[in-house]
Amino acid sequence: MKSQNPVPAARALHWHELQLPVGLRAAAIKTSAEVLDLPQPSFTPDGLVLTFINHKGDLHVRPAGSPQTDELPASPGLGLLTTSARPLVYRSSSSILFSALVIYIPSSWSDIFLKENAQFQKIEQLLAQDANIITCRLGRRQMSLFTAALGLLQDPAGNLLGIQNNLLSLLEYFLCNRHRSVLGVNPVSDIDNEDDLSLIREVESYISEFYCSDTFTVDSILKKTYTSYHRLNFLFKSIHGMTISEYIRNKRIEKSKEMIADNAKSISQIAYEIGYSSISNYILAFKKVYQITPGKYKKQIDNMVQ
Amino acid sequence: MSYVSLENSEPFLKCFEALAEDKSCVVSDSVLYFSGSKGKGFITVAGISSGIEVLAVNLSLLTEDLTIRLQPSVDASSYILCFDEIDVPGKAEGEPPPTPLTLPHPLQMHSTVSITDAVNGKAIVYPKEKTIRSLVVRVRKKSLEHLIQDFDAGTIATILESTGNEATLSWPITFKYRLLLNDFMTEIIQHPFRELFTIRNISILTEYLLQQFFVMNKLGEDGGALSTQDTHSLSRVEYHLCLHYKKEFPGIEKLSRISAMSPTSLKTKFKKYYGETLFGYYQKNKLEHARKLLDNKVPVKVVATEIGYSNPSHFTLAFKKEYGFSPWHYLNPH
Repeated sequence: MKSQNPVPAARALHWHELQLPVGLRAAAIKTSAEVLDLPQPSFTPDGLVLTFINHKGDLHVRPAGSPQTDELPASPGLGLLTTSARPLVYRSSSSILFSALVIYIPSSWSDIFLKENAQFQKIEQLLAQDANIITCRLGRRQMSLFTAALGLLQDPAGNLLGIQNNLLSLLEYFLCNRHRSVLGVNPVSDIDNEDDLSLIREVESYISEFYCSDTFTVDSILKKTYTSYHRLNFLFKSIHGMTISEYIRNKRIEKSKEMIADNAKSISQIAYEIGYSSISNYILAFKKVYQITPGKYKKQIDNMVQ
Repeated sequence: MSYVSLENSEPFLKCFEALAEDKSCVVSDSVLYFSGSKGKGFITVAGISSGIEVLAVNLSLLTEDLTIRLQPSVDASSYILCFDEIDVPGKAEGEPPPTPLTLPHPLQMHSTVSITDAVNGKAIVYPKEKTIRSLVVRVRKKSLEHLIQDFDAGTIATILESTGNEATLSWPITFKYRLLLNDFMTEIIQHPFRELFTIRNISILTEYLLQQFFVMNKLGEDGGALSTQDTHSLSRVEYHLCLHYKKEFPGIEKLSRISAMSPTSLKTKFKKYYGETLFGYYQKNKLEHARKLLDNKVPVKVVATEIGYSNPSHFTLAFKKEYGFSPWHYLNPH
């Protein structure tokens, strides 16, 4: 394919490469071109390559050596983790504004910093499965880090430590992010945006802290996180498969079930303690989740004990 | 008094053994928890085989001083960097502590950052009844020199030599360190990639240190050193400015009362010691807080009120002046 477009491709594109003090290597490119067929620089020895790309236009990515039919369309503001054995190739048949930032992590480096880490091992396993590419959309914090690092890398007198700090932050965010979605309840959900994922985590931890209080409302979550109800519901549905109020109800009822099994308190007491202001509401909710009233459930348990 | 002594070649983790034996502390997953009568908080290590070792101390209300002594050693291949922040607890919103008349004990630390050659060893005393956030970093000379090789102005080694026997350089702690230490301590225990998190923060701290170092060096060339009394007063002013970032700038009169200096000498000395004017320092700290809020997805309007601006557009202007882009552009860099 390369030879078909001799005219515009003649403009040499080259990567700014850089060795970082901490032992990583970095490369960056920023270009606007009519057509693009750009291989990533290859690194030896073996290791991992984390690439961040951003572009305006139509971009496709494929691992080197594989046919063009294996190409994947790439969305702007993306992080891609691959092994250095199969460098990526970027192609665009229309005019494009393209910038990329590559971090090369030699395996000797990841041995020191990440080998012991169980989360990292999970990510590595995922990567080993038929030459996977692990992707992650950049949140807005990473996007600004990306832009800053790119600017610094192109400046020949750039501050090496500054670049290193930005790149290490990007790497850390990427891994944390992936770690969260590997743990995710519903792995098929297509939410891989850092901002959204961290929002969900925040809301979840907020709920698990306060769901038993009777002043706890969905409104208080919205106020705390500055999101709209519809957005939050959409995110909850795609990750947990239920609305946020259903999620809270399930959490409360689950807790009440445990309390009933403890057999220390009366049903009405339990209802108030988990934040229901009226007992009939509580009974209805319980019935919806377990298809049985709490009283009957209590009797069942009592019979079993006897 | 609790006492730990370490050889240069021993890993920081060994400090745990001594401490855990001494007081019934809980150790889990290389974190040592203090709880109950002896004090509250934790100590943790992140030993990294690339020659950087970190001891993070986050303790409050110790009932007795805690001393960690790093033995002098012949094998002088490392530096010890300390980033310490020591506050009086429970004063978060109140006035700065009214203790100034007696000078602090020379061995007892106050909030500073320092770099020491491991040849001479170092004693670190964590005072009782204070809030302590401290990072002790032992870094192999090779690693550090590697890290700073592209800074052409003389290496730390030559400057350490010129200070004579003490071989310790120390600088005042600034809001940058305070913010970073705060974040570090809240995240380190829970962080899924602890080693990576540590190396990133050390890298950032080193950058701060070098920046500060060159500013100080330049300022130091055209002026004599400050007395201990002066540095102590100045750090009180700095602490006051850091603490009250939500309020209006306190004004030079109030600050000069806090420091017991005349306004003019306060201004010049502050600039000499911190490399910033009083208001510049206050403003930078304030906007750094704003930036952190923006990172947490707080809307610009709320951020403005949160850090004490009555008008969001004033905040936008100040932000733009400091960072070169408006909050909006910070949030939407595309």
